[in-house]
Amino acid sequence: MDAQRLRDNLARVMMHGDEVPLFFFSDLFLRHPEVRELFPVGMDVTRDRLVAALARIVSEADNLDALVPFLQGLGRDHRKFGAVPDHFGAVGTSLIAALRHFTGPDWSAELEAEWKAAFGVVAKVMIEAAAANQQAHPPWWDATIVGHELRAFDIAVLRLATSEPLPYRPGQTISVESQKAPRYWRFYSVANAPREDGTLDLHVAMIDGGMVSPVLARGLGVGSRLRLGPAVGVFGLTAEPRHDLLMVAGGTGLAPIKAIVEQLAELYQPPRVHLFVGARRAEGLYDLPDLEKMAARWPWLTVVPAVSDDPYYEGECGTVSDVVARSGTWSRHDAYVAGPTAMVETTVDRLISVGVPADRIHIEDFGWGEIT
Amino acid sequence: MSVVIPGPEGRLTPEQIRSVTFPPARFGRRGLDEVHVRAFCAQVEEEIVYLLNERASLYQQAEQLRQRFRDPVDGEPAYMSSIAHLQAVQVLVNAQKTAERFVGEAQQYCRELAENARQRRDQLLAEARLSAAKMMERADSEARLAVAEAAARAPAATAAGTSGREQENLQGEIAYLRMYSEVYRTHLRTYLEALLRNVDEWARAEQSPAGLEHDQPPA
Repeated sequence: MDAQRLRDNLARVMMHGDEVPLFFFSDLFLRHPEVRELFPVGMDVTRDRLVAALARIVSEADNLDALVPFLQGLGRDHRKFGAVPDHFGAVGTSLIAALRHFTGPDWSAELEAEWKAAFGVVAKVMIEAAAANQQAHPPWWDATIVGHELRAFDIAVLRLATSEPLPYRPGQTISVESQKAPRYWRFYSVANAPREDGTLDLHVAMIDGGMVSPVLARGLGVGSRLRLGPAVGVFGLTAEPRHDLLMVAGGTGLAPIKAIVEQLAELYQPPRVHLFVGARRAEGLYDLPDLEKMAARWPWLTVVPAVSDDPYYEGECGTVSDVVARSGTWSRHDAYVAGPTAMVETTVDRLISVGVPADRIHIEDFGWGEIT
Repeated sequence: MSVVIPGPEGRLTPEQIRSVTFPPARFGRRGLDEVHVRAFCAQVEEEIVYLLNERASLYQQAEQLRQRFRDPVDGEPAYMSSIAHLQAVQVLVNAQKTAERFVGEAQQYCRELAENARQRRDQLLAEARLSAAKMMERADSEARLAVAEAAARAPAATAAGTSGREQENLQGEIAYLRMYSEVYRTHLRTYLEALLRNVDEWARAEQSPAGLEHDQPPA
C-alpha cells in the first residue's frame, strides 16, 4: 500500500472541507436510502468524526500495530449504530465516489485501486472485530438512571444501572444516547472503578445549546432510560504504578481521574497520589465533599482544589496548572491529566517546563482520544 | 393465403409480401382485381419495411443505453457518475445543510437563553455579595464608632471626677456595644449565607418540573 499517496490525495481532497463528508453521506444515502435512519438529524459531529477517522487511518496506514486496535474499537463501537457487514461495502463505494469527485481530473485507476485496497483492509478489520465482539456482548447496553444529583447550576452526577454488566477499565469512556435526542451519541468517562453492583457514575457538564448534555443534566431523572455503547479509550493505568502519581483534573475531567484513584485504592500498597482539581468557581468543585472523604480515608491521597475566577475563594486561587506548578516538585512523578482541551494543553506544557518527562504524562482531552 | 410460406422464424417478410402470388379465381367464381391486391400488398410491404427499420434503430438505442447503464466508465456504473446523480447528491447535500441550519438555530437560541440565565445569576450573586459586604462594613464602622465614643466618654468622665459607679456603667455600656456588634455581624453572616443558599435552590428548582418528568420505557 502506498500510504504516502493516500495521505497526499486525502490532504488535497480535504481542502474542500466539510463539503467532502457532506458529499460522501449524500452519495451513500442516495444509493442506500435505508441507511439514513441510522444517523441523527444534524450530522456535523458525525462528519467531523468521519474525517478524523479517515485522517487517522491514512496517517497510520503504515503503522498497523497502532491502527488495528483503533479499527477494532471502531468496529465494536459501530454495532450500537446497527451497522452490518453489507454497510461497509456501501461506505467504501461512496467514499471512493467522494474522493474521485473532489480529486477531479487527476483521479486514476491506480489511485482508485489503492483506496479500494485500503478500505478493504479497514472494513475487514472492523467487521471481524464486530463479529468477535458479538459472541460476548450486546450491541448496546440498556441502562436506567438510579441516581441523579444536580451538583451545580450546570453539572449533574448520574448513577446508572445496566441491564447486563458493561466491562470497562477505569479511565475509559462510554457513549450515551437518550431517546430524547435519538441517535446522538456522546462520550462520557465512567467516574468510578467497577463496583459489585455494576453501577456506573457519569459527571455531566451542561453545554449550552448542546444536544445531549442538557437532556442528561436537566431533562432526565431517576427512572429514565439510556443506551450505552461499549467502553473505549486508552486513558488509565498501563501497569502497576512504579512512581508516585500526580493527577490533574479540570471540570468534569475529574471523572476518569476519580475512577483511577478508586482503582489505586485496591492495590496492596497504593503510591502517593496528589490530586489537583480545578474549576473556575467554587461551585464548579462539584465533587469536593466526596474527594475529601476519600482523602480522609486513604492516607496516600492528597486532594488540592483550585479555583481560577473567584477572588472570594478561600483555598488555592489560580488556574490548576499554576497551582500544580507552585505546589511541589513533580519531575519524579507519573502524571495523569484530564479536562477541557485548552486546560490539558496548558497543563502538559507546564508539567514539561517543570521537568516532568513527556512520556510520563498521560492525557485525556475529550477530543480524539475518545474513540481509540 | 395458403400459398404464403412463412419466412425465417415463422415471420412474414416484406419479400414474401412482394412475391406473393394468388391463384386466379376458378372460372365461374368471383375474384378480386389483381391490380388492387398488388397495390395494397406494396403498401403493406412498405409499412413493414419502415417498422422493421424503426425497430432496428430503437433496438440499437436501447442497447447503447443498456451499455451505459451496465458497463463501468472510470470504474463506476455510468449512471452513477452522470450529471443526474451529481445533481441528486447536491440536492441531498443542500437538504442536509438546511436541516442542520434549523437545528443550529434552535441550538443557538438555547445557548443564548442559557448564557443570559447564567449571566443574570452571576450578576445577582455579585450584587448580593457586594451589598452584604457593604452592610458588614457599615455595621463594623458603626460599632467601632460607638465603642470609640463610649471609650472616649469613660476617661473624660473619670477626669471630671465621676463616681466609680458611673464608670462601671460606662464600661458595661462598652461591653454591651461590643457584644451587640458581634451579634449584628453574626446575623449578617447568617443572612448572607441564607441568601446564597436561596440562589442555589433557585438553580435546583429550575430542574423541575421538567426534570421530574421521566421518559417512558421504550415499548
